Amino acid sequence: MNIKKLGRLVTPYVVWLSILVMIPLVMMVILSFFETRGLDFTNATFTLSNWFRDLRDPSVLKALENSFTFAGITVAVVFLIGYPMAFILARSSFANKMVILMLTIIPMWSNSLLRNNALRNLFSEQSFVNDLLSKINLSFVLDIKGTPSAIIAGLVLTFLPFMILPVYTVLEKMDKSLIEASMDLGASPIRTFFKVTFPLSLKGVATGVIMVFLPSFSGFAVPYILGDGKFILVGTIIENSYNYNINFVSTLSILLVIIIFLMIFFVSKVDKEGESFL
Amino acid sequence: MSTTLAKISRRIVLFFRKPKVVKTTKTLTSVLKNFYFFFIMFLLYLPIIIIAFQSLNSSRNANRFVSFSFKWYVDMFSDSQLMEVVSNTLTNAFFSTLLSTVFGTMFAIGIHSLTKKARQKMVFLNQIPILNADVVTGISLMLIFKVLMSVFPNIFVPLPETALFFRVSLTVLLSHIYFSLPYVVLSVLPKLSELDPNLYDAALDLGSKPFDAMMKVIIPAIKAGIFTGMLMAFTMSIDDFVITFFTSGGAYDNVSIYVYGQIGKIMSPAVYAYNTLLTLTVVVVLVGMYISSAIKQKKQALAQIQHNRLPN
Repeated sequence: MNIKKLGRLVTPYVVWLSILVMIPLVMMVILSFFETRGLDFTNATFTLSNWFRDLRDPSVLKALENSFTFAGITVAVVFLIGYPMAFILARSSFANKMVILMLTIIPMWSNSLLRNNALRNLFSEQSFVNDLLSKINLSFVLDIKGTPSAIIAGLVLTFLPFMILPVYTVLEKMDKSLIEASMDLGASPIRTFFKVTFPLSLKGVATGVIMVFLPSFSGFAVPYILGDGKFILVGTIIENSYNYNINFVSTLSILLVIIIFLMIFFVSKVDKEGESFL
Repeated sequence: MSTTLAKISRRIVLFFRKPKVVKTTKTLTSVLKNFYFFFIMFLLYLPIIIIAFQSLNSSRNANRFVSFSFKWYVDMFSDSQLMEVVSNTLTNAFFSTLLSTVFGTMFAIGIHSLTKKARQKMVFLNQIPILNADVVTGISLMLIFKVLMSVFPNIFVPLPETALFFRVSLTVLLSHIYFSLPYVVLSVLPKLSELDPNLYDAALDLGSKPFDAMMKVIIPAIKAGIFTGMLMAFTMSIDDFVITFFTSGGAYDNVSIYVYGQIGKIMSPAVYAYNTLLTLTVVVVLVGMYISSAIKQKKQALAQIQHNRLPN
C-alpha cells in the first residue's frame, strides 16, 4: 500500500494549524490576565479585573444576555422551519434533488450584508416593497426595524441553509429499511417519525444547532443592520474595543472559545462517531 | 326498489372506502408540502429579489421605485470606490481559492493516507477553523499578524497594483486561505475514501514517479470533490465580512466592509447591480455545468444501450 507513504504531505498542515490556532489562543489567555498597552508588555500589570470586574459590568452582562437570547431564539426558529424543509427535500419525489438543493444554496452567493440591508429596508415604515406594491394598489407595511423581531428575522434567513443542509444530508443517508420495518411492525407514520426517523437525524440537528448558534451568538453585523444599532451584543463590544482594549477583548474571546468547546462536547455526546460535521 | 336502494348505499359505501380517503389526505399533504416548500423558498429569495429590483431602479432613493433602468449596470464601472472594493474582493477570492484548493487537496491526500486514529485527530483539527466563531478567528489572526509586524513592519500594507493584478493584502489573503482550506479538505476526503488504493500502487509498479502517479491517477479520480471544495472556498471568500474586518488593518476593504460602512446612508444602486450580476453569473455557471453533465450522462447511457445491442 504505497498510498500510506503520502502521510508526510500532512505535516505542513499540522504546523500551519498549530501556529494559527494554538499561539493566538495562548496569547489571548495571557492577555486576559494583564493590563497592557496593546501588545506592548512594558509596564504590564497582572490583574484579574478583566475576568472578575469588567466581565460583570452591567453593560457586558446585558450584551451576554442579548447574545444568548437572540442566538437561542434564532436556533429554535431555524430548527422549527428548517427541519420540515429538510424532511420535505429528503423525502421528495422531485426529478432532481441536486437542483432543489442548489436552490437552497444559491442565496448564499448574494452578499449577506446586502441581503440583510434589503430586509432592513423591507422592515422600515416606507419600504421599497410597499412602494412597488402601491403601484398595483396593494400595500405591505411591517415596521419592525430596530426591534428584536427584526434582528431574529435577519438571523433566521441568513443561517437557515446551515440547518437545512446537515439535516438533509443525514435524512438522505438514512437506511430507509428501518422506516419500512417500523411501518411493517404496525407503527403509525407519526410514531415512526418520532421513534425512528427523528432520533436517527439528531446528528444533523446537532451540527445545524452549532452552525447556527455560534455565528448568531458572536456576530455583530446583522444586529447592527436590523437592530439599527440599538442593541449591544458580545460581538459589538469586541468590534468597538479591539483597537484600544485588547485585554478585555481577549477575555471575551476566551469566553467564546469556552462556549464553543462546551457546544462541541454536547455534540460529541449526541454523535459518538465524531464525523457528523458537514 | 330495494335493489336500487342497495345499489345506492353500496355506491356510498364505495365512495367512502378507505383507499379514496387515503388518496384525498395524500393529495392534501402534498399540497401542504408544496405550499410550505415554495413559501420557505420565497422567504430565502425575497432579499435577493428586493436587491434585483433596487438595482433596476432609476432613482438613488432606496424607498421609492421610480422607473425601470439599466443605467446602474453601466455606471457601476465608473464608480471608482465600488470598483476598488470589487476588485479587492475578486482578486483576493481568486488567489485564496487557487491556493487553498491546491494545498487543501494535498493535505486531504495526506490525511487520507494516515492510520485511522491519526486521521480522526486530523479531521478534528481541521474542523477548528470551521467551528470557531468568526470573531475569535478574526481576533486570533490579527494578534498573530501584529506579532509578525515586529519582524515585517509592512505586513498590513497591501501589495501595490501590478500590470497583471489588482491590489493584494497578504494578511487578508492568508486569513482567507486559513478559513477556506478546511472546506476543501472536507470536500476531497469522501472522494478519496471511494478511491481504490490499488490504482496508485499499480501506477508505481508500472514505473511512474510518485508525483506523476498522484497527478494522473489520484487527482482525476477525486476531481468532483476538488471542484466542490473550490466552489466552497470561493463562496466563503467573496462573502466574508468579519475576518476581513479584523485582519485588513483598515487598509484593504472588500465589498462587505464597504456595505457595512454604507448602512443607513444613501447607497449607490451600483452595489445592488454588482451583487445581482454576481449572483446571476454563479447561477448561469451552475446551470450550464448541470446541463452539460446531464447531456454527458445521457450520451453515455445511449452509447451503453447501443453497445449492448451490437451483438444482435
